[in-house]
Amino acid sequence: MSARVSTPKQYYRGLAPWLLLAPYIAVTCVFTLYPLANAAVLAFYQTNGPASRAFVGIDNFRFLLSDPVFYRALGNTTVFALCSVFIQLPLSLGLSLLLNSGNDRWKSFFRLVLFSPNLVGQIFVGILFGVLFTPRYGLINRFLQALTGWGLEQQWLGDPALVMPAIVLTALWVYVGFNMIYFLAALQSVDKSLEEAARIDGANRFQVFWNVTLPAMRHVVLFVVITSVIGSFQLFELPLALLPTSNGHGPDNAGLTVVGYLYDVGFNAGDLGLGSAVGWVVALIITVVSVLQLRLAGGGEDE
Amino acid sequence: MVERFPYGKAPFWLLTLALISSLLLVATRQRAAVDRPDISLATFAVQHYAAYKRVLPEFERLHHVKVGLQLVDARALQTRLQNAMLAHAAVPDVVEIGDGSIGYFTRGPLKDIGFLDLTDRIQEGGYRDRIVASRFSKWESRGRLFAVPHDVHPVMLVYRADLLEAAGLRAEDLDTWDAFAAAGRRVLKDLDGDGVTDRYMIDLPSGGGFGLTVLLLQRGVGLFSKTGEVTFNEPRTVDTIVWYLHQVRGAARIATECGWGQPLAKAMNDGVALFYIAPDWRTNLFQTDVPGLAGKLKIMPLPAWEKGGRRTSTWGGTGLAITKQSPHPELAWELAKFLYFTPSELSKRFASTGVLPPFRDAWQLPEFQAPSAFYSGQRLGAEFARLAPDTPPVWDSPYSATAESKLGEAYLRAAEHFDSHGDDGLREVIQRELGVAEAYVRRIIERNGLGGPRE
Repeated sequence: MSARVSTPKQYYRGLAPWLLLAPYIAVTCVFTLYPLANAAVLAFYQTNGPASRAFVGIDNFRFLLSDPVFYRALGNTTVFALCSVFIQLPLSLGLSLLLNSGNDRWKSFFRLVLFSPNLVGQIFVGILFGVLFTPRYGLINRFLQALTGWGLEQQWLGDPALVMPAIVLTALWVYVGFNMIYFLAALQSVDKSLEEAARIDGANRFQVFWNVTLPAMRHVVLFVVITSVIGSFQLFELPLALLPTSNGHGPDNAGLTVVGYLYDVGFNAGDLGLGSAVGWVVALIITVVSVLQLRLAGGGEDE
Repeated sequence: MVERFPYGKAPFWLLTLALISSLLLVATRQRAAVDRPDISLATFAVQHYAAYKRVLPEFERLHHVKVGLQLVDARALQTRLQNAMLAHAAVPDVVEIGDGSIGYFTRGPLKDIGFLDLTDRIQEGGYRDRIVASRFSKWESRGRLFAVPHDVHPVMLVYRADLLEAAGLRAEDLDTWDAFAAAGRRVLKDLDGDGVTDRYMIDLPSGGGFGLTVLLLQRGVGLFSKTGEVTFNEPRTVDTIVWYLHQVRGAARIATECGWGQPLAKAMNDGVALFYIAPDWRTNLFQTDVPGLAGKLKIMPLPAWEKGGRRTSTWGGTGLAITKQSPHPELAWELAKFLYFTPSELSKRFASTGVLPPFRDAWQLPEFQAPSAFYSGQRLGAEFARLAPDTPPVWDSPYSATAESKLGEAYLRAAEHFDSHGDDGLREVIQRELGVAEAYVRRIIERNGLGGPRE
């Protein structure tokens, strides 16, 4: 057996990929892996102010699981996620079906119109809808009053029962168009000959959609559902901008989300340990929900 | 040369670009170091920034130094300062912090607090007796002072004098809140006959918010005591919530919520409410936001809870802190004194911001005695200064946000009960909910195993 002798050029060529990857690896280690590991450790400490910490074992998790405010935040976030999946995504799908069957010239125009709310940030959208929901002078209240004779003085953002509907309504305006683009792309890649064959076999429009089009879009639908649920659990800026006087909590914490709760305990109250514990619990919830969705959808594999 | 590089052309150009950008970074850093000010001051208030920009050249001339002034959004300033202190990164030498911020920074052992303890400097400089006493409370923790108060923010009522006169009412007669509420029932009016009331007595949030806080403070009820004990669960809170609910909810309510910014300006112009709760800073905002009401507005002290009682409250506050990391604490203290304890500068700032300083020496200057054409010739400075010594103390705590949130929840539970059952069992519900709120806040405080306000 003889040792392989490499020339300097070959040696440097072998090293080159690692050298070129080094900045990426370094950045990932410093800004992703280290914080992740540190957050895992921090979750077992109580931090108090900028400089003090004490080991508390699983007390942060114990506190979290007995804190009614955390459950309120979790409940609000779950409601928002459910609204995303059962209201927002069907609307997106419906719009994409409409656009897919429409005139090509208008298709681009409406696609742009419906997608355009995404071009502005959530903070801007929150401020905008904050004005629209203003009692007495807000466009939504004026519209309701003109239409039904009720609603002029309605406190959308001051009534705990109406805060979440207001957030959902605002999110619809932003995200319906965004998810519609995914569905539209999926619809355009569906094999037309299959749909045509189903029609020839006597299937009506709904049957074609339900039995041919939707199964063909399965991967995209699954992707959109999972990203929507993950995005919903990360909701933070929108309530913050919509409910600025209460730090995004709203009356009776009706607008508080889990990330809002995390920010509150970690950065407003200064307990980064508890904040880290919240982060890990949220990550666990998202992972479980995503795995469940994948399982329910048959693992996302083709049959 | 490119051809001889062992890794190929693309890596050569990537490395060249990296080298050039690194050199540029080093060069610009050196240039920045040359221009670096001797001391830096960060504020979140646009009005303060404008005022300081005008007066800082004088300080620079007196001390032969360069001051770097930064304007940073309040939330960003708080977050950046927190993060910089956590990461031991560079922080401004002097920083203005807003209402409700100090609690975060005063968590934990005293030695770990990132701001200089100014207690002795204030005492030795003879400033303690020359500043409105109640204003120290907000910036103290465990008896030590960590920021100098910028303001007093006494609260009065701004009202539409023209509409009040048209309603046949006199401000002088509204000397108690009960008299105010009774008069308010006579003001309610549906001006256009659409079944919706268009004129109310006062702008108050139905969800509690600033209205409830201001009124509780007027009664002397704060969230915490000087020693950090929870203090909001007491009979005066119950009385205030009962009274408040009758004014902001139900068919006989005298209050509506006018909001902020443009909706508020429109409501004021339309005369939706006659009275608006107004600390000094808000009187100045009104001059900018509703210029068309010049000469139609007046100010009056808050009605008292009982005859002869306190006629003011307080809302908001800013403090100036010196960071421990500052390499020039003495110069920073000189800057603090120049900005906060120089009467001539304070009077100029009052003329532009309308904010009454807590430093009494300045109050006799002409700017504080000048009549305001906007407020129908009333002397705003003198009126606020007259009430200033009576402003209630507000002790901040790391748990203030939690306590405020829980008190808000108790109020909303009471409001739900009031909406469905009226006065039946209302007091019992309020007492129960205040107890729940207090217990929660205590539980959070007791989690603090590292020392803090109750160490």
